[in-house]
Amino acid sequence: MSKDKISIIFRVKHWFTYHPWLKIISFLLAILVWFYVRGEISKFNY
Amino acid sequence: MSDIFLWKPVIEIMILWFMIYHIMLFFEGTRAIQVLRGIVILLVAFFVFQNLGFTILDWLLTKLFAISVIAILIIFHPEIRHGLARLGQRHLFGTVLREEELDFILSQIVKASEILCKNKIGALIAVEREDSLAPYMESGVLMDAKVSIELIQTIFAPSSILHDGGLIIQHGRIMAGGCLFPLTASSDLSRVFGTRHRAALGLSEETDALVIVVSEERQDMSFAYQGRLHQDVTPEEMLMKIKDIIKVKKEK
Repeated sequence: MSKDKISIIFRVKHWFTYHPWLKIISFLLAILVWFYVRGEISKFNY
Repeated sequence: MSDIFLWKPVIEIMILWFMIYHIMLFFEGTRAIQVLRGIVILLVAFFVFQNLGFTILDWLLTKLFAISVIAILIIFHPEIRHGLARLGQRHLFGTVLREEELDFILSQIVKASEILCKNKIGALIAVEREDSLAPYMESGVLMDAKVSIELIQTIFAPSSILHDGGLIIQHGRIMAGGCLFPLTASSDLSRVFGTRHRAALGLSEETDALVIVVSEERQDMSFAYQGRLHQDVTPEEMLMKIKDIIKVKKEK
């Protein structure tokens, strides 16, 4: 059986090149949502 | 103790990031992404207005969000239904085939596509996942053969009777050749793409199959999945992406 091995370098490179903007936007959005929810929670003194 | 409290927000943000990224990835390439972009812009504006103390705009956007929950449910109705249905589904390949067998089959398909591409021969290969491709098999010739580079090349050779239709891979075997796939009605697809690409996209819109398409004119390889065409990918990229789709964790 012939098998194609996918290197770790390719996987890392692929992670950074596959939808980089989507990753940046979603990361910023995650921070935004976290701070918003924390603000809302602190308002009600949970 | 304070270290633990510092780690909690980091982990929470990471989980949120993962969730938001996958939601956006799910909608990427579909018409819903335009609506999602609008929502993201509104969210950012809402956060800015709230922090700057613009009470009127803040009040307006708060009310708008309350209404938009219903609007989102209506607009994203097909996507939500499709997504929820997929959550509960098992992956057929994972239950039927061992990982090594799947690796071998997928590498054979990609290698065959690469050879066909280099030889300027077009190809259309559909890999069945959860949705049955049996209705499309009826339009072609039933085979039930082991997947091999040579057989795929032979089927798509210009002198072959079956070369014009699509090949269906089911349970890790070539089940039918010369099959007719539904054509997409999408106007988004460029005119440079021919019937083969329209058929690949059409089948990926109607089923959850992964459809590999080799262009004889442009000598490139693409694949369609969930109504999205991933154009001009290298064989290595294609192998990795299709393995990701079929959810196989490859051992190093």
